[in-house]
Amino acid sequence: MTGARRSVALATLLLVVAALPWVLARYQLSILTELFIFGLLALSLDLIMGYTGMVSFGHAAYFGLGAYGSALLLINFAVPVPVALLGGALLAGVVAVPVGYISTRATGIYFAMLTLAFAQLLYTIAFKWRDLTGGSDGIAGVPKTSLWWNGPSLASPTAYYYLVAVCLVLALGLCRGLVRSPFGRALQAIRENERKFAVLGQDPRRFKLAVFVIAAVFAGLAGALFAPFRGFASPEVMFWVLSGQALMMVIVGGIGTLVGPIVGAMAFLLIQEVLSSYTEAWMIFTGAIFVLMVIFLPGGLVGAFLTWMEGRKSLARGGA
Amino acid sequence: MSILIEQLLNAAALSALLFLVSVGLSLVFGILRVVNFAHGVFYMLGAYFSFTAVALSGRFWLSLVAVPVVVGLFGALLESSTLRFIYRRPPIYQLLLTFGIALILEEGVRLVYGPTAKPMDPPAALQGAISVAGITYPRYRLFLIGLGIVVALGIWLLLKRTRAGLVIRAVAQNSEMADCLGADVQRVRTLVFGFACALAGLGGVAAAPMTSAYLGMGISVIVDAFVVVVVGGLGSIGGSMAGSLIVGAAQTWGGFYFSETAMVIMYAVMGAILIFRPQGLFGEEE
Amino acid sequence: MAPILETRGLSRSFGALQAVAGVSLAIEPGELRAIIGPNGAGKTSLFHLLSGVLRPTSGQVWFRGEDISALAAPARCRRGISRTFQITSIFPEFTVLENVRMAIQLKAGGNFRLLGGRSLLSSTEGQARTSLEFLGLADRADALASTLPHGDQRLVELAMALAQQPQLLLVDEPTQGLSPEDTQAAVAVIRQITKERALTILLVEHDMDVVFDLADRISVLHLGQLIADGRPSEIRANPDVQKAYLGGAV
Repeated sequence: MTGARRSVALATLLLVVAALPWVLARYQLSILTELFIFGLLALSLDLIMGYTGMVSFGHAAYFGLGAYGSALLLINFAVPVPVALLGGALLAGVVAVPVGYISTRATGIYFAMLTLAFAQLLYTIAFKWRDLTGGSDGIAGVPKTSLWWNGPSLASPTAYYYLVAVCLVLALGLCRGLVRSPFGRALQAIRENERKFAVLGQDPRRFKLAVFVIAAVFAGLAGALFAPFRGFASPEVMFWVLSGQALMMVIVGGIGTLVGPIVGAMAFLLIQEVLSSYTEAWMIFTGAIFVLMVIFLPGGLVGAFLTWMEGRKSLARGGA
Repeated sequence: MSILIEQLLNAAALSALLFLVSVGLSLVFGILRVVNFAHGVFYMLGAYFSFTAVALSGRFWLSLVAVPVVVGLFGALLESSTLRFIYRRPPIYQLLLTFGIALILEEGVRLVYGPTAKPMDPPAALQGAISVAGITYPRYRLFLIGLGIVVALGIWLLLKRTRAGLVIRAVAQNSEMADCLGADVQRVRTLVFGFACALAGLGGVAAAPMTSAYLGMGISVIVDAFVVVVVGGLGSIGGSMAGSLIVGAAQTWGGFYFSETAMVIMYAVMGAILIFRPQGLFGEEE
Repeated sequence: MAPILETRGLSRSFGALQAVAGVSLAIEPGELRAIIGPNGAGKTSLFHLLSGVLRPTSGQVWFRGEDISALAAPARCRRGISRTFQITSIFPEFTVLENVRMAIQLKAGGNFRLLGGRSLLSSTEGQARTSLEFLGLADRADALASTLPHGDQRLVELAMALAQQPQLLLVDEPTQGLSPEDTQAAVAVIRQITKERALTILLVEHDMDVVFDLADRISVLHLGQLIADGRPSEIRANPDVQKAYLGGAV
């Protein structure tokens, strides 16, 4: 697409997103809001997975930290939601520093397992530290407060939808800028050939730690949006199953495309919604779809779409 | 003094269990260069199938032998229908595939058996305690220690002293060469994978009377198994042994003196080792 | 003149295997030194020790009067040592241009610009294009590196190392797997590099014609040890070398 065409398409998309509250029913808007939240989670995972080549099995932990962080701030101090968002994202980022430092000492499978191990540790802490986290019951009654002190309330689905949509769009914009920057290029070089990267003059671990923390902050933001949205935070938001689902969203949508994982999150959750109303075994079907996609369609939906577009373009050019 | 002996035996029993699970993981990595995220779920299958087998037949010893075979066959089937197609891909895809399989299997177990844990009694011959080294110690744990030793010896003999073991080691070193020399590489891979799953299943059968069969045992054991292989180094059987002993000891003593923080201690140990030796204690340097 | 690179008793063992055993070399600035030896002699291990990919078990590496033995690979590169690998090591899914540009960026800095960085990107891109022109790769700048034939990929790797403007260039078997024509081209490139730049080159090579064509001096490794060191004519006549490596008269 040419630059002008692209801007028009983008503007149209944004207009559509802005106009949806007038078109959709309340509960539909609610579902879409949740899709956006998980889209943000999947987007954050793509930064480390698609661009840096680091597979994390414990990314949900940062979603969970964001959720608990914002829940605690909202319940105990009734801060405006953006403050809670900041708090949750920051908590996730701060924890990601030592975890990331140790995990990035390792590569490949060792790294993946370390992330899982740390996530399990955090999950166990959330589960057991009843005084702070409410244990297995979690924290309930998290309110949607206001946009700023004595500002407009965010209690209505429409208002909250806009909050989430703005966060997602901003995050997407920031991530796109990030992957095109010198830092972003360096991340991709690490994914392509880490040993060569070191020999060319930079220590890959510093970059990996940086992007790990950045991804954790975005995941924390998603979690921080989730807690007031659902009204509660519980240990499930940190569980390995959610980490796995995030991975699946990235793969289904298209690894390394930023937009793909957002699409993937939405597709994945919609499939889940539909399937779960038909059968109790829905997770088996989603798992099976995932396995089939890994074998046959590793580029995901967006990846397949891009390949198809490339194919059409070269046909038009008269190429093979 | 008697507490010390008891702790030593506890550590040994736990190490034996850890070894059973982690050696299969290590084998699959060493020979197939694949990390099987679903490995822990095969352990869980072993426990649940054993529960069913014992409930149906009333015989523990039968299930000890039969269930691992069933689990192994199941694993081999999975490998030849899914994993074999993606060996040449970057490792991320194998991780994801086995992860997807783990999810499917875990859900399957949940649907078939329900969410509550299934407790199991040890067989009559292994119940109760006997006197050993001046203390009374549960028979079942001594059985676990014995089982661990037997399996370790068996694997060592298999790999070092048999023709099959030679072929396996050749495939591990250089699969293309082995292929040219006439070894059926795919068959070896399927067999090794199945064997590793059988070992995990055996671990599950052995663990069930002690821990019950419960959902999530697959995930918690795989984290433990990975701590073992991180400490010991992936692909090294000796490393699995050493790793199991170290982690078993750390968990036992940590659990005894610090209970809640035992897990933290384990991660601290793992983290410390990785900071100074990113390839594990026995792993190969990159 | 002080040597630009010196190794003092450099050794590296892997368990019982002694890959490099007490190698002491001195390379003069501007020299083209060839390292030869039979398979398993430790040539690539030596390169790993020089570039920082491996740490020595004993001995030292001195570069431009500084002991760099404790430095890791990134630091050594920034001090002026660049290398290529025996098995071509590039960024496969990057374009040829991006491969070289990345090499420049990693050494030049600005790598932690998280947003924007346009001017850095375009200046490094400009430098990369110049580098590609020098090696005759400019016409393939936008091709995906993985789609290039083997010989051209090795050229890209060389371009990456050169673009970093090193003082010491380690080239590991540049002609491996190349056809006779490509080999000639590679030799010509290396000769041109030595003519146009103030560069010290260490060359691991199996092709004896190339070695005797290019080298100012030759060092011979055998089973990890340095068994001979001198001018090409001296090496040719050296009986130990003949025995160990050439299996008789050259």
